[in-house]
Amino acid sequence: MAILEVDDLRKEYGGFTAVEGSSFEIERGEVFGVVGPNGAGKTTTLKMLAGLIEPTDGTAVVAGHTPGEREMQRRLGFLPEESPLYEEMTAVGYLEFFADLYDVPADVATERINDSLDRLDLEHRDRRIGNMSKGMQRKVAIARALVNDPDVLIFDEPASGLDPLTTNYIIEFTRELSDEGKTIVFSAHNLFHVESICDRLIIMNDGRIVARGTLEAIREAHGGTEYHVYATADGSDGLTDADSPIEVTEENGQVRHVVPDMDAVEAVREAVEAADGRVTDIQTKTPTLEEIFLEVASEPEETET
Amino acid sequence: MSDGRRSAFADRLRRLSNSIARTGRIARWEVTASAGTVDRKTAVALVVLVLAAGTAGVSVSDEGLGLEREIYVVGVAEESQYHDVAVEAEQFRPVPLEDVVAESGGGNADTIALREDANVDVVVTRDGRIAHDGPNGAAAYDEFRSAVETYNANLMDRESDQAAAYPVLVSLEYQDRDLGGTTADGTRDDGGGTADESSDGGDGTTDGGTDSDGDEPATGGGGGGDDGGDDRLQVPNVGGSGASSAPGTPGSIAPPFPFDSLVLAFLFVVPMNFVIQAYGSTIMDERLNRRGELLLVSPASSREIVAGKTLPYLLGLVGIVVAIAVGIGGSPLAVAAALPIALLFLAASFTGAMFARSFKELTFVTVTISVFLTTYTFIPAIFTDVNPIALISPLTLIVMDLQDESVRLGEYLFSTGPFYLSAAVLFLLGVGVYREEDMFAQKPIPAKVLDAVANRLRGRRSIALLSILFIPFVFAGQLLSVALLFAVPEVVAVPAVVVAAAAIEELAKSVGVYAGFARSRFDATAKTAVVLGAFSGAGFFLGEKVTHVVQFVGLPDLLIGTAAFGPAVSSDPLLLAVVFLAPLGLHVVTAIPSAVGASRGRTGYAVGFLAATLVHVAYNLGVLTLVS
Repeated sequence: MAILEVDDLRKEYGGFTAVEGSSFEIERGEVFGVVGPNGAGKTTTLKMLAGLIEPTDGTAVVAGHTPGEREMQRRLGFLPEESPLYEEMTAVGYLEFFADLYDVPADVATERINDSLDRLDLEHRDRRIGNMSKGMQRKVAIARALVNDPDVLIFDEPASGLDPLTTNYIIEFTRELSDEGKTIVFSAHNLFHVESICDRLIIMNDGRIVARGTLEAIREAHGGTEYHVYATADGSDGLTDADSPIEVTEENGQVRHVVPDMDAVEAVREAVEAADGRVTDIQTKTPTLEEIFLEVASEPEETET
Repeated sequence: MSDGRRSAFADRLRRLSNSIARTGRIARWEVTASAGTVDRKTAVALVVLVLAAGTAGVSVSDEGLGLEREIYVVGVAEESQYHDVAVEAEQFRPVPLEDVVAESGGGNADTIALREDANVDVVVTRDGRIAHDGPNGAAAYDEFRSAVETYNANLMDRESDQAAAYPVLVSLEYQDRDLGGTTADGTRDDGGGTADESSDGGDGTTDGGTDSDGDEPATGGGGGGDDGGDDRLQVPNVGGSGASSAPGTPGSIAPPFPFDSLVLAFLFVVPMNFVIQAYGSTIMDERLNRRGELLLVSPASSREIVAGKTLPYLLGLVGIVVAIAVGIGGSPLAVAAALPIALLFLAASFTGAMFARSFKELTFVTVTISVFLTTYTFIPAIFTDVNPIALISPLTLIVMDLQDESVRLGEYLFSTGPFYLSAAVLFLLGVGVYREEDMFAQKPIPAKVLDAVANRLRGRRSIALLSILFIPFVFAGQLLSVALLFAVPEVVAVPAVVVAAAAIEELAKSVGVYAGFARSRFDATAKTAVVLGAFSGAGFFLGEKVTHVVQFVGLPDLLIGTAAFGPAVSSDPLLLAVVFLAPLGLHVVTAIPSAVGASRGRTGYAVGFLAATLVHVAYNLGVLTLVS
């Protein structure tokens, strides 16, 4: 059942279209990735879902409510790209203030705050936020997004600008939240993170969705898995049209046959041997999200998957 | 009440209660967060500073500054008549004569021998001679002589028989006169009674209380003399209020405005200038680095956030205002008059902080607000005793209160109404841009103003509402133009006010329409522009009627007032029709060219606005001609 539904969402600033007719659904408990280059419309989309920006057109329903409705805000945890915290407050004071604002009873808030900070391994909780490192501040910001125990979490670049250790910690924490049943909308520049935790994703470019689906489906749509067969002789002449390699090139005195599946690999091997050659190596090539991203970012039309 | 209605009412009540609770939480947090920016030592220093300033303020209010208190030492015997002079004059500290002179008796020769350890500036011997010693002696001597004169003058003032205290010497000189009553030197004697005409002349007596041309006693306009009808000689009094002042001395001249009350009233405005700096900064803090974004995504609405952040500063100002009122002896009226000023200071700072792009720009904005509002409130109050125009400032009400003058409800509404309404509209505009898309956007201030105005537009009819909302600003702007041009000769002031009044009104009517077109809230067609212009003009007409409150204080009786607000309501039906219906036609007719121009862009708007203003000026001149 979809906990988040977006239908033809559009945002214009004057004559500039930031988001153009986005539509997608997110299932409960899903980790949903939103990726794209700078200016693709990711943050605008996330902010429209969070109720921060009013759409020019289209609708969004989050946890059964329109973004901006008070009840929806109660069920949402939003982590913006930056950590705009009140630096003069202590971490605990800051979290208690937001818990109060979300009408969380004091005892529940204390328990929840301590639990979040324990899990995030945040020390020096009574230190002023302004005196904390960037990583610690980010953890406080994540704890703030959880203070109301939301159904839906929107994480915009949660690990942006952090060291690898903290980044991994946050990614792992996000995975734990997903395991607990939270629905997470996750945006990141680092596609490795998206690839590692997202169940489904959309790729945006110039305000439009250019690819969508599971990572496997997107891979499939953008070439899928390829097999590189290296041999001492060119076997392509002995192959039928159906088994013809996608590409045949010469590399370091060897012939590389690029084929789409294992049947084709077998056909190439037989053809090479028929040509008095032999297969020296077979490699499997799966396109990374980054490669797909670079490919689709240059394509204006959406790839149906 | 049906169950459905009861349930809806209960639901509304619960939401209101929750809203108040959230506002309170944000206010409490604002105090905590602001306190977090000040370390303990600074906080203690601030408290000490405030207490010291408060004590000093009360002391000054009670006893004056005392900068010259006991700066000179005077050696004088207790039984000397000069001893009381030294005690009464604050500059002097009397010490026993025997402590400073070497010889018993204070010296009877030409020179006075002082003891070696004597630390004294002036010495008064037992036989009344006054001498001075040391580097400050000469100045102390002069000061002592002045103190003696003041002391004597005060003694005279306290004298029950003023004729004895201030005997009048009259020289009589008889001149021939003809039957027509013209004296030899050409002046006319109307028989006012300089000399006692009932006498047969030459007895040399005068009847008291008349000067040479038979008018009332010269009182210098102050009213300090006793004109109760008895036959006592009236004491001339320059300046009026100084019962203890010696007549005719410079110190006894009082300025023609309530200086003391004015200075005390100004005390209310001073802390507002400081508080808005802190308030503007806290609003700006929310906007920089997107710190306020997380509050916006919380269940708290923009209104609750703004109210919560404003409340501590408003309550702080109310506390300060009450403390000042208590300190200077003002009544609750002084607090009620200061409150709208405080509100407008906060509202203007809030809106300014929402428009500024940086702390640098905020500084410019808050300084502008400080200067403008301080000027707007203070300058008119100078004329409290002179002209009703002074009532455009609530500070005038405070001055009146301190002078124990009564204030009518109409005067209070006239004076504070524009302040309350302007503050409300400014908060409304500011809250309109307290949202992600506007508060973090880096735009020039005029563009932000247009955003704020455009955000309040909900369809064509809202243009009429917007025109009504701008009425307080129109009212304040026109009153200010009247106040600024008050001292200018009417030949210049009246045309200037006519043009200013027209331009202000046309701006108020057209800015909403322009913002609507500039922000694509309306289709930029001529038909739409005409409809919007008509709505704007009609709305403005309705709102303008509110300005007839000026008639509470009779401002239109002044020609300059008429130039700005139009003539007073008359019982003449024709004039009534002109007063009430002609403006409707005027406002609709002039709003349309501005609106059509606005639909064509910035240049078109400028041209349309100019044309509308010219038509409006012509109308105003016609009204003036009709009235005069």
